[in-house]
Amino acid sequence: MAGREGILGAYVERPAKHYNAAYGTFYDAIFFINSYGKAPMDFKSVLDVQERLEGVQYISSKEISTVVFLAQATKKPILVEGPAGVGKTELAKSVAKCLDREMIRMQCYEGLDESKALYEWEYAKQLLYTQMVKEKIHDVISETATLKEAVDQIADHEDAFFSERFIQTRPLLQAIRSEKPVVLLIDEVDKSDPEFEAFLLELLSDFQVSIPEIGTIKAVTHPFVVLTSNNYRDMSDALKRRCIHLYIDYPAIETEMHIVKMKLPGMDEALLARLVSMVARIRDLDLKKRPCISETLDWARSLMVLQIDELSAESVAQTLNTICKHKSDYEIVKKNILNVIKQG
Amino acid sequence: MVNLTLKFVSCCRAADLRISTAEVLDCVSQLSLVNPLEEDEFKLVLRSNFAKSRREQSRFDQMYHLFFHEMKSDLSQVSQSPETEQIKNFLDQLMENDTLDTLEKALADFLAGKPMAYIQEVHKIHTQEEQEARALKSNMSQLASRLQVMLKINQIKSKVLRFLGDNHAAVDEALKKKITGDLNDRLDHAMGLLNNEPRPDNYGLKEVKNHETHYNHIGEIPFASLGQEEIEEVRDVIRKLVKKLEEIATLRYSVSSRGVIDIKKTLRKSGKYLGVPMEIIFKDRPLRKGKIVALCDVSGSVWSTARFMLNILYSLQECFSKVKSYIFVSDLMDVTDFFKDHDVNNAVEKIMKDTHINYYAPTDYGMAFQHFKNRHIQELDKKTTLLIIGDARSNHMNPQDLVLKRMRERCRRVIWLNPEQEKFWGSGDSEMYTYKAHCHEVRPCGNLNQLIDFIEELIL
Repeated sequence: MAGREGILGAYVERPAKHYNAAYGTFYDAIFFINSYGKAPMDFKSVLDVQERLEGVQYISSKEISTVVFLAQATKKPILVEGPAGVGKTELAKSVAKCLDREMIRMQCYEGLDESKALYEWEYAKQLLYTQMVKEKIHDVISETATLKEAVDQIADHEDAFFSERFIQTRPLLQAIRSEKPVVLLIDEVDKSDPEFEAFLLELLSDFQVSIPEIGTIKAVTHPFVVLTSNNYRDMSDALKRRCIHLYIDYPAIETEMHIVKMKLPGMDEALLARLVSMVARIRDLDLKKRPCISETLDWARSLMVLQIDELSAESVAQTLNTICKHKSDYEIVKKNILNVIKQG
Repeated sequence: MVNLTLKFVSCCRAADLRISTAEVLDCVSQLSLVNPLEEDEFKLVLRSNFAKSRREQSRFDQMYHLFFHEMKSDLSQVSQSPETEQIKNFLDQLMENDTLDTLEKALADFLAGKPMAYIQEVHKIHTQEEQEARALKSNMSQLASRLQVMLKINQIKSKVLRFLGDNHAAVDEALKKKITGDLNDRLDHAMGLLNNEPRPDNYGLKEVKNHETHYNHIGEIPFASLGQEEIEEVRDVIRKLVKKLEEIATLRYSVSSRGVIDIKKTLRKSGKYLGVPMEIIFKDRPLRKGKIVALCDVSGSVWSTARFMLNILYSLQECFSKVKSYIFVSDLMDVTDFFKDHDVNNAVEKIMKDTHINYYAPTDYGMAFQHFKNRHIQELDKKTTLLIIGDARSNHMNPQDLVLKRMRERCRRVIWLNPEQEKFWGSGDSEMYTYKAHCHEVRPCGNLNQLIDFIEELIL
């Protein structure tokens, strides 16, 4: 290939596997047309949210559906707080299912930085590139007479070193650049460092990210953003200001019965009622870790497998390890077992 | 609707809920999407925009109830019954008096359905900090200002009666009763607002109640009752523990040089070798654990725990980016330098001997916190863990828990270690339950086993 075609001739001919933006558009477009016919519309009302969430097996309270509806209508992120295991993450998954969107998940932890969350340079390719440039540079400047011309000639070429072709996208950038709207779940945001939180601010308010070497990348479509927090530490006011706040508590007894009934349709009604009210009483005990909804389900499942249909002190003690995950909790429940299993 | 929301917002702001203009705009635009006539939805929209954490929700609920239920602010423009006329008359007369001070004005406004000024006054009293004692120490300043408000409320109550008594010709008996009732209800509510301040719902609080048994005998003896030999034994155990933890931590160090390649620096270096990247530069990984600020009560039995805690913290200094420590009884003192100049055990001894702190003064947590806030608050940032070691027995002094709240706002986590076992918390002059509302984690830490549990969790 001739030097005139640019230093990057080789790269144009040989598409790098990682770099799919040019192709992405094309494939996405096809995919979009295919799925367009059945693609569900956005939520129309609070009731619509509730029904469609129930359609994907997520029982939501009115509060949850209202917040989801508002967040979607006003394109604002939701900050979900609540004890572990009440369905914070599940909410994001269910919304993604309802809206038939892809879900991109970003799990936060101490030490998470933008190279893992946003983008990373593909340095191996960058190093190769520098070697290539060295070989090609003679071709580029061979026809120039003076030094000045040579410099100009080089300056005319694309500055590819820090350009989109060497960027490896991470979850956040992926969510921003996706042609189809996605659901972005930023899980356990309270575990991240303050720097990361600061850097989320731009993303959450303007749906854009700034990469110093390239510039600002704006979102093609607005992702539906859900942030979850266990309140390990307090979030900054700036972050809170950009979100709609939602607190999810342990479900009321009826709601929890509804959930178990939906996930385990074969369960006996009377047994189920007893089971759920017992879990509620166990939650009131002074435990290290209170049983969450999924543990109620586990318990119900193990009762079904063992074909236990009467919850007596023995059968409860026998299956208690499905809901008590600490030895000391186990002991506390056993001590209070008569209180726990009492009727009504 | 917008006006009503704005009025409510100014009320919330007076009660120290931080609400930005952007949030008000969001809220108003969201109200157009729901049915604001249905109270559930209306309240939810307001709450999800104005109370952005579980901690703020109880304060919000209180304000909401006051504003929309007690004051019936949404109806005030609509109804024009004879009694509102009468109330207005009375208030006009009350306001005519030029000699009203700010408090009386605030109360008059409160009666007229504009609670903002009064809420502000009450908030000022609740957050009032004790001033440094000059001659005689007292914890009365808050109580005194509270009393003043109570007296004012009673004064107005009697004024209401007098006013209605003077106008008995114009008003019939039933109406009079109703007006007195209404006004008295509001005044009672004003009183309630003054006396009951809602505590934040600290749902994220981590409470550790049980501990592993690492050592059978020595592990279970309370620090305060260790004999000389046992102290040596505990030190031995701590030495071993420190060694073990250090090994794990240094492992993390050695991995740090294998981080991510720093392309810019590598290229710059490659200039030396005609553009061949001979030297590869890695990005340094930041240390995983942040800064520790420890506040230790050094009175009586607490010191025996605090000394071991300090011993461990300073032996493990390498694992944190910085360790600062303060001791207090009622005065606060920075003892970080002792540990710089001496070896850990000597430093601990020296602190007891050489510092000018009055060990016999009654412990005063409120004052110690305030000293810290006034002089050392800059030590706290979002990467700092604040460790408080103390029994929270404050000799019935003003606990000033709001100072702790301010400190919490500045740092990453507040962890309270109490050398007393949990059943004694809250008994006698212990303010543990007051302070608990502002901590991220509370745990009893009175023996070796509990200490080991905590340290392992902190480092690993």
